[in-house]
Amino acid sequence: MMNRPHNGKRSVKMQQIFSGMLIGAAITLGGCATTEVVEHVENKIDPYENFNRKIFIFNDGVDNYVAEPISNAYKWITPQFMQTGVFNFFNNLKNVNVVINDVLQAKFAQSAEDTGRLAINTTVGVGGLFDVAKHVGLEQNEEDFDQTLAVWGVPQGSYLVLPFLGPSTARGIPGAVFDTAANPITYVGMPVQLVAMLNARASAEGALKFIDEAALDPYVFTRESFLQWRNNLATDGKSEVSTDIDALGDDPLDDDKDTAGQGVSADADASNKPGFALRLDADTKKIEQVSYSFSSVAQSFDSTAKSFEDAGAKVDELTKSKKYRR
Amino acid sequence: MILKNMKLAVVFMFLLFGAVSAFAADEGAATARQVVEKFQADLIAVMKEGKKLGYAGRYERLKDPVSNSHELTKIARIVVGKEWEKLSEEQQQKLVDVFSRLSIASYAHNFKDYSGESFVFDSEEETTRGGVVVHSHLVIPGDKPVKFDYMLKEKGNSWRIINIIANGVSDLALKRSEYTTILQREGFDTLINKINEKIDNYSKQ
Repeated sequence: MMNRPHNGKRSVKMQQIFSGMLIGAAITLGGCATTEVVEHVENKIDPYENFNRKIFIFNDGVDNYVAEPISNAYKWITPQFMQTGVFNFFNNLKNVNVVINDVLQAKFAQSAEDTGRLAINTTVGVGGLFDVAKHVGLEQNEEDFDQTLAVWGVPQGSYLVLPFLGPSTARGIPGAVFDTAANPITYVGMPVQLVAMLNARASAEGALKFIDEAALDPYVFTRESFLQWRNNLATDGKSEVSTDIDALGDDPLDDDKDTAGQGVSADADASNKPGFALRLDADTKKIEQVSYSFSSVAQSFDSTAKSFEDAGAKVDELTKSKKYRR
Repeated sequence: MILKNMKLAVVFMFLLFGAVSAFAADEGAATARQVVEKFQADLIAVMKEGKKLGYAGRYERLKDPVSNSHELTKIARIVVGKEWEKLSEEQQQKLVDVFSRLSIASYAHNFKDYSGESFVFDSEEETTRGGVVVHSHLVIPGDKPVKFDYMLKEKGNSWRIINIIANGVSDLALKRSEYTTILQREGFDTLINKINEKIDNYSKQ
């Protein structure tokens, strides 16, 4: 069998636990987006690369020393049919979210199919343990709030690696918050959530192994495959190929723009003057760059806090003026 | 008698014509679709014997199919982007060489055995710049099919694969980001070392 570069999930999705943290991060990072650090941007879609790389390494460590051993133990003690059952069970519950997002994206025919899928698997499939619908010809569709936001025209924003959660984008964060809220697993107790996590890590095994084997630079490999995969999902496989083709026709050497790369982050190096990044590396020590991105994050923390204060002040003024009027 | 001679002549002419046309088909430009389908057929054939051949056997068997259907020199050049111009001729040659080995090795590693997979042709389209994209998918029994889109360019009188997009993930774009990043951050020698390391790992498993 062949391995496939599915998705760039780098670590277990512990969405449930961290949803609170996510909201905080969303606010913070929303702030980041406004305070752009122009001169240090190496890559338009990944302006926080140095910071992201740190988190990536951290996540990799967590995966190596915690998630992977536990997941391997789970795979070792659990018979294959049970693993499949567990996978099907959680996958079936995910379809609640899929149906909601079908509707939000105005894919009504697909939403009818997915509702049918959910109904068949929940009843005939014994609460979702068996994927009966697949044999009836109802394939699993991948829809989530991030894709819905994309369909609605919300820009993707910067690439971000979140602690424990792995790759995401500025748009992916609010998306993940909604997805978590729309998943029934969120509202049940801890043991079920733990199994959900084990299942998530175990099903990501193939993709993770592929990254380990194929990636020269696992960070870049994960970023690119994640962004391309997400883009492919958001456009339902339509846009990616066509842009790919046209861009590839160019001989990259004759062209100023970075055309052959054309992936999702293609415009990234295009904005980069040749040799710019090299010069950067030579001029500035890495540590300085990291501390720079740290300080830019801190800065945006400040500015967010300040805007809250401003808002607070305004509310105070309003209430005051009302009082005076009385 | 004359009739018989005529018959013979006709038969002879048919034979001649047939031979010529067969020759022409053989020598003439294979279409983009034919190039892709031939490569896929070779790949499936190697997968079927995959276990018996072992890694080294698969590598040997795939060497020609991969280098004849992919334009590896150009791919290697695109993959390093603008950095290509900064490399010496010797380095460029080395990169093409190592990159070609990596491409064959990754096929030999990833398509190691056969469990009923088959490639199905979907459609073919011309791009605005004279390339052709062949859309196909790999059917895997008991699993979701994987979409494979091949981007081809004409080289001489035949077509060569320049990019493969698997389930929407472009191999070329992925490699290009990786390779340019490594070249910029760590330099040429590190890149070559890392590629060689990958080839080594592929051969071990």
